Formats: sequence, C-alpha cells, structure tokens
Amino acid sequence: MHENLLPVALANYVALSSVIFFIGVAGVVLRRNPLIMLMSIELMWNAANLLFLAFARAWLNNAGHIFAFLVITVAAAEAAIGLAIIVIVFRSRTNVDVDEVALLKG
Amino acid sequence: MLLAIWLVPLAGAIVNWAFGPQLKRAAGVVGCLALAVPFVATLLSWGVATQSTGSAVGLHQALFSWMPGFDFGLLLDPLSLIWALIITGVGFLIHVYSVGYMWNDNAIARFFAYMNFFVFAMLTLVLSDNFVGLLVGWGLVGLASYFLIGFWFFKPTAVAAARKAFVINVVGDVAIMFAIFLMFAKVGSTSFATVFAHVPALGNWLFAVCLFLFIGAAAKSAQIPLHTWLPDAMEGPTPVSALIHAATMVTAGVYLVARCWPLWNASHEAQLLVGTIGGLTALAGALLGIAQWDIKRILAYSTMSQIGYMIMGVGVTAYQAGVAHFFTHAFFKACLFLGAGIVIHELADEQDIRRMGGMRSRAPVAFFAMFAAVLAISGFPGFAGFFSKDAVVFGALEHGHPWLYIVGIVTAGITAYYMFRLFFVTFFGTYRGDLDPAQVGMTNAAPPAASEPSHGDSHAPAWLMAAPVALLGIFSVVAGYVMIGSSSPWNRFFAQTFPSENLTAPAIGEGWTTAILFVVMAAGIAIAYLRYATPAALADAPARLRAESQRLPAILVRLYYFDEIIDWLFVKPSQALGRFFGRIFDPDVIDGVVRGLVLFSTDMGGLVRGAQTGLLRSYALVIVFGATLFAIYYALQGAAH
Amino acid sequence: MTVAFWILALLLIASAIFVITAQKPVHSVAGLLAHFLFLAITYFMLSAEFLGAIQLIVYSGAILMLFVFVIALLSSGVAPFAVGPDRLPKMAAPAVAIIAVLLGLVAYAVSREPAVTPVLHGIASGPVGTAGVFGSVADFGRALFTLNLLPFEITAFILMVAVVGVILLAGDHVPYVPTRKRARLVENDMREAIVRAGEE
Repeated sequence: MHENLLPVALANYVALSSVIFFIGVAGVVLRRNPLIMLMSIELMWNAANLLFLAFARAWLNNAGHIFAFLVITVAAAEAAIGLAIIVIVFRSRTNVDVDEVALLKG
Repeated sequence: MLLAIWLVPLAGAIVNWAFGPQLKRAAGVVGCLALAVPFVATLLSWGVATQSTGSAVGLHQALFSWMPGFDFGLLLDPLSLIWALIITGVGFLIHVYSVGYMWNDNAIARFFAYMNFFVFAMLTLVLSDNFVGLLVGWGLVGLASYFLIGFWFFKPTAVAAARKAFVINVVGDVAIMFAIFLMFAKVGSTSFATVFAHVPALGNWLFAVCLFLFIGAAAKSAQIPLHTWLPDAMEGPTPVSALIHAATMVTAGVYLVARCWPLWNASHEAQLLVGTIGGLTALAGALLGIAQWDIKRILAYSTMSQIGYMIMGVGVTAYQAGVAHFFTHAFFKACLFLGAGIVIHELADEQDIRRMGGMRSRAPVAFFAMFAAVLAISGFPGFAGFFSKDAVVFGALEHGHPWLYIVGIVTAGITAYYMFRLFFVTFFGTYRGDLDPAQVGMTNAAPPAASEPSHGDSHAPAWLMAAPVALLGIFSVVAGYVMIGSSSPWNRFFAQTFPSENLTAPAIGEGWTTAILFVVMAAGIAIAYLRYATPAALADAPARLRAESQRLPAILVRLYYFDEIIDWLFVKPSQALGRFFGRIFDPDVIDGVVRGLVLFSTDMGGLVRGAQTGLLRSYALVIVFGATLFAIYYALQGAAH
Repeated sequence: MTVAFWILALLLIASAIFVITAQKPVHSVAGLLAHFLFLAITYFMLSAEFLGAIQLIVYSGAILMLFVFVIALLSSGVAPFAVGPDRLPKMAAPAVAIIAVLLGLVAYAVSREPAVTPVLHGIASGPVGTAGVFGSVADFGRALFTLNLLPFEITAFILMVAVVGVILLAGDHVPYVPTRKRARLVENDMREAIVRAGEE
C-alpha cells in the first residue's frame, strides 16, 4: 500500500540512509581533521533526517517532519559549538590536529 | 497589636544589623525605639489581655498551621502580659542605660542588634501559645545570650563562658524537646490549651513530662545542678547581665512552670522535685554569694538564689507568689546590676569590691538606688522584695512544705547579710583602689583595666545611665504595693489565670512569718554592719578584708566543686572517647578502610588507564562498536520473531 | 520517479564519499554542498517541501558558510591540520569491519519486508505547494505550532544556549583563565582584606 505513496520502496530509503550514515561514521573515525570530522557528523545527521522524512511520507504522518526540523536546529547548534571549540583550540595551540589534542589522556 | 509587640524588636535588630556601620551611636536610638514601641503596645493591650471570653482568658492570635496539632499563634494573657511588660519595660530602661554604657564601644550597633534580637526571642518565648513556639523562643534566647556573653569575643574568658552557657542551655532545650515529644505522643497536640485540657491523658508519663520540662527550666534558670554557667556569664557587658541574666531570660524557667501549672497541679512528685531544687538553689546561691569578691559574681549568685525562691514558689504551687517575686526581682536586680555597672564604669572596669570602697560620694545615684534595691532584695518591710518574698516563703508553708519554709527563712537572713556586705564594702569607708592588691587579700590580681575594653575620652551624658538606675530604684520601692492584702490588684489580676485553692491555715500565721523574716533579715544586716561598717571596721578595712579572703572556706570559693564534678563526669569521659576515636579508631580503622579503597581504585584505574588514550577517534570508534553491539542485539531479537 | 531516485542515491553516496576523502577541507565543503543540494531534491520528492527549503537555507546557506569562515580563519598562512604523526594508523581495519557488519545487518533487515501495514493518518496527498495536503507548509506549520509547541520552544532555548556558549568560548573579551587560577586570585584578595581588617 505504501509503495503507492513513495517513489520507490521504503527499504531503498533505509538502505540509502544507512550507507550515508556509515560514510559519516567512517569519516569521524578515520579522518584527523576536526573540520572534516564535523562535516561527517553533519552527514550522519542528514542521513537520520532522510530516514525521518521517508517514514513520514510512507505513513503520511508529519511528526517525522517535526523531528527532522528539530534535528536541523540541534545540528546547527552543534556545528556552531563545535566550530567555536576548534577556534579556541587553534588559538591556544596553533594547530587543531585531533591526534595532538589529547588532553583527555589518562 | 500582638504582631507589633512581637516583631518590632526583630525589626530593630535587623536595622541595627544591616545599617550598623552607618548608624554608629544612633543604633542606640533605634534599639531603644524598638523596645519603646512594644512596651507601649503591651500597655495598650492590657485591657484585651485580661478580658475573659468564655473559658479562655486573654488575647489570642492564630498565625499559621503547620500540621494537625501544630498550630502556631500568639497568646497574651495575664501571665505573658506580666512577662512582656517586664521584658519591654525594664528592657527599655536597660537599653537607655546601655547607650551610655556602650558609648565608646566600636561595636555599639552590633550590641543593640543582639539586645533587640534577644528581646524578640524572649517575646517569642512568652507570647507563644504552644510548646513548639516556646521551644523556638527558648533556643533563640539561648543563642542571643551566647552572642551577648561572648560580645567581647577577644576575651578568651568571655568566649569560654559563652560556650559554657550555650552548651548547658542546650541540655535544657533537648529536655524540653523530649517533653514535647511525650506530650505530642500522648495528647496529639502541642498547644497549651489542648495539652492542659487533657492532662489525664498523659497518665503515668506526667511526671516524666514535668521532669523534662523542669530540666529545661533548670538549665535556663540556673538551678542546681545546671547553674554553673550563670556566674561565668557575667563576662558579658553589664547591661547584658542586668537584662538577660537577672531580669528576664533566667526567669524563663519560672515562666515555664507557671505556664504549665495544670501539669504541676496534677503531679505531687513534680511539685516536690521543683520545690526542693528551688529551695536548694536559693540556699546554695546565697551561701556562695558570701564568698565572692567580684561585684557581678555576687549579684549573679544572688540572682541564682532569688530565682531559687521563684522556682520554689511556683514549685509548691504558690504560682502567684513565685510570679510576684519575678516581678519585683526584675526591678531590684536590674537596679543592682546597673548600679554596679555605674560603679564599674566609674572605676575603669574594676570589678573586685575589695578595691572599691567609699563609692558613696563618687557615685551618689548608684548609692541611693542600690540602697533601695539592697533593702528590697533583703525583704525590708515596705520595699518591693518584702511583699513577694513573704508570699513565697509563706506559700511554702501554706502548701505543706515546712522544710522549704525554713530554708526560705534562713536564706532570707543570708541574703540580707551578703547583700549588705556588698553594699557596705563597696560604698562605705575609703577608696582602696590605690592600695596594693595583695594588701586587700587579692592573690591573683589581674591588671584592672584588662577585663573590659578601655573606654575613650568622650563621655556619654550622665543622665543616660543615672536615670534608668534611679527609676529602677524607685520601682524597687513601690513595685510591691500592688500586692498588699488578700484582694490586692495583683491577686485580682491573676484570679482567672491560676486556680484558686482553699487551704487550711498553717500553724504559723502570715503575720508571724513576716515577723520571723524581719528578725532574721535584721540579724543578717546587723552582722554585715558589725563586720564591715562600724567605724572600727571601716578604719581597719584592708586588713579585715585580707583576713577574710584567706579564711574563706574552700568549698565555697571553689563553688561546691560543681565545675570539677561536671568536668570529671562529662568532660573527661568525652575527651577520653575523643582520644580513642582520634588516636586509635580514626587512623587505624576508618583511615585503613579509606586507604584500602584508595589502593583498590588506583589498581582498578591502572587496569583501564590504557584505554584512555585521549585520542578522539579511538573514543568514536568505541562508541560505534558499542552501537554495533546494540544493533546486533536488536537484529537478533527481530530474527527471533 | 524510480530512475530519479537511483540517480540521486548514487550522487548522494558519491558526494558523501568525496566529503570524507577530500584532502583539503574546502573541497570537503564543496562536496557537502553538493550533497545537501541532492538531499534537498530528495526531500522534495518525499513531499517535504518546507524541509527541503530549510535544508537549502540553513545547511547550505548558514552552516556551510560557518565552515568556510572557520577554514579561512584557520588556514591563513599555516596548515594546522595533521601536523603530527598518525597515532592510530591501524584504525581503518576495525572501522571498516564494524561498518561492514552494520551494513550487513541493514541489508538483512531491508531484505525482510515489514509485515505490518502502516496506519495512515487521514491526510490527503496531492500536488506540491497546495495547502492542506501532506507536507505542505501550512500543514507543517500547524503541526509545529499547535501539537509540538513545547518541543519547538525547547529547541529555541537550545539555540539560545548555543549562542551564549559560542560567545563565551570564542569571544575574545576575556582570555581563558583556568578556574583554579582565578580562585587563587580571589583568595589572595580576601586574605589581603582580612589582614587589612585585622590591622584596623
């Protein structure tokens, strides 16, 4: 029934979203550049959003839209804070290599 | 109206606290105003306080409810009216006096803040209509007393005395708390009216309730064996001694017993206990008064002794007599203390009467006022103390306590002796302050000016201190006139407060009692006169005083060894316990456990320390790994369906 | 429509991979921009017209500009990224393994069609841009400001906190003072005051 409401089957959206999400995960884990790590996190947020919207469309329930909207705001806040942290780290050490900034070392 | 009486002193205290540095000496004006207002308000409420509506007497104002059985309110009935009048009236005079006495003290605002706070606390105590409010006031006056005894906190003795007073008072607070617990458990209420209406419900616990209440009363009113703090409390400024440790706070025990008369009326054992303790304290305090040389300590012991009279009076259920003695005592004892304050002030803080003498010409106002007060406290006919003391002593016989009657008479003689001894040594003869202290028998002569902070050269107007003393002296004469006769205003005033009794006339009539008392008192005065005030004795004063100092019985000088006994019974064991915990238990047992925990967590931390690389990406990978585990778990769950 | 979806999916994955593999952050930003554009188109295809617009405005317009600014700020004459050795050279293998496991799980889940029939709410579907149909701005706004007003307000609060936090962190009015040092300064002040009071 829901196939009629979507351009393609819902499962395709789930798969697409998962792939994008894992690309984001790989970016966070494998890259040392904090800016690119932040961008990867943005990728992950957006993959989640895509899933929300696909399900909202499949079930014709706009609660998913509301959620996606909230996610966008939170993502914006997160990006702002993250970039601010990068800026102050750079200000005090003149580099932002996450492998060098290991202050949490036990 | 009641709220004004109650809260204006608090407002004064807050103003003095908050704006003390700006107010400087104006703090005294604020302090006096904060007492004048409630005094006038109390006088204006006289009518409503003595009216009776139905079975209840007085003015009642509910404040708020806390829980069932805990309704807070204010109650102004004849009993609390008398106390409120003395607190605000005598308190006002003492405040005026304090303006002069504390003229050159830098912390005058703090002083008046404490004084006003004390008055607020005392009014809380006497105006409360329930036991919990009474206990709150009870604790607050103890706190105010602590502040004021330790007012000169740079004197180690003052701090020690403050602490002692506070600790002993807390013993009493705890006892009263137990009494409240018992009453609440048995009656289910803490309000006076409800508890007193259900005295039978207390059953076998009645005596325990009375006992606990009386332990509280004894701690506050310096009754044996909880009296040791009162003489030490004289470390505070003299007006404090006059207000708190003579006129008002220490009589709270009398108030408590008088307030709880339905309990005492129902328990014969409690009457016996309280009467006996009161009589003992009266006698013991008077005996100790003989052996003292410090003018304020003599007065402190006389306070203890006179409160013993009051407690004896209310203990033998002669409530009106006990309260009457409180009423007159407030005037003459405040007068004595304030007069002594003038003398001390005049002599640059000398307190030892052996170094006084001849003060009649140097402090005439104090001389005349204190003469009236000394006569009053001795019970000289026509002076205030005569009527009330007579009533107490006769009341003891009337209620069937002949032994207490005898104690009362003997004590009256001793009182007359030591008060006149104080009076003669201080005011007659020649000034001995120039002599070598050893010449008058002082062994451990402290430098005289060290006891209180030296005063600057600016002097307060003399009337500030003289006028209150003179007024109190006048009241020491006339305050008893309301008690003349069986249908006196005093008796009518209390007609609805205390139960009327039909007592069989005792073997010795009231007239005879008066006569016996007069003879005993006259003997006391005569002995004092012979020893200290005959021309020969005055001429030979230093030698005689020296001889007496060396002759005084050790047991009196050491105050019956009460401090030593308390030290031995309570302080030493707790010190030993503290040593045990401090030297053995704490380092070896508790610290051992703690050290073990430290070792344990260090080891455990070492185990997981390797994972804390501080590298952001490794943390991210661990998170992903954890998420994977969750995903696998849910996938397996889904597959199981 | 189906063809469009597959093309978009391909482009999305390609741009995402470009984002995480680009050597310069600026290139990543460009890749991310392309990704967001494709994503917005996908949103439109899902009738989420408002969110598609928001995606363009907020992400492409605001957040990516922030990234560009920060890159410009950091890269003025220095190369602050990857200055030291790679301390986790062996991360790739476990990461790829984990991701492979997860992707396998997703494939497994996708292969099993959900047996439940979705409960459809009574909102009609219709052409994009028409009021009163699913995904329209009016529909979204009504849902946001009535039923979901509280979450909306909470989000507003979160944004405010973020603004305050960013100002505190990145603002240059106060040099960052460690708390302990500041505490020591305060303590010294108090000690001096006490000494002064004692002298008086």
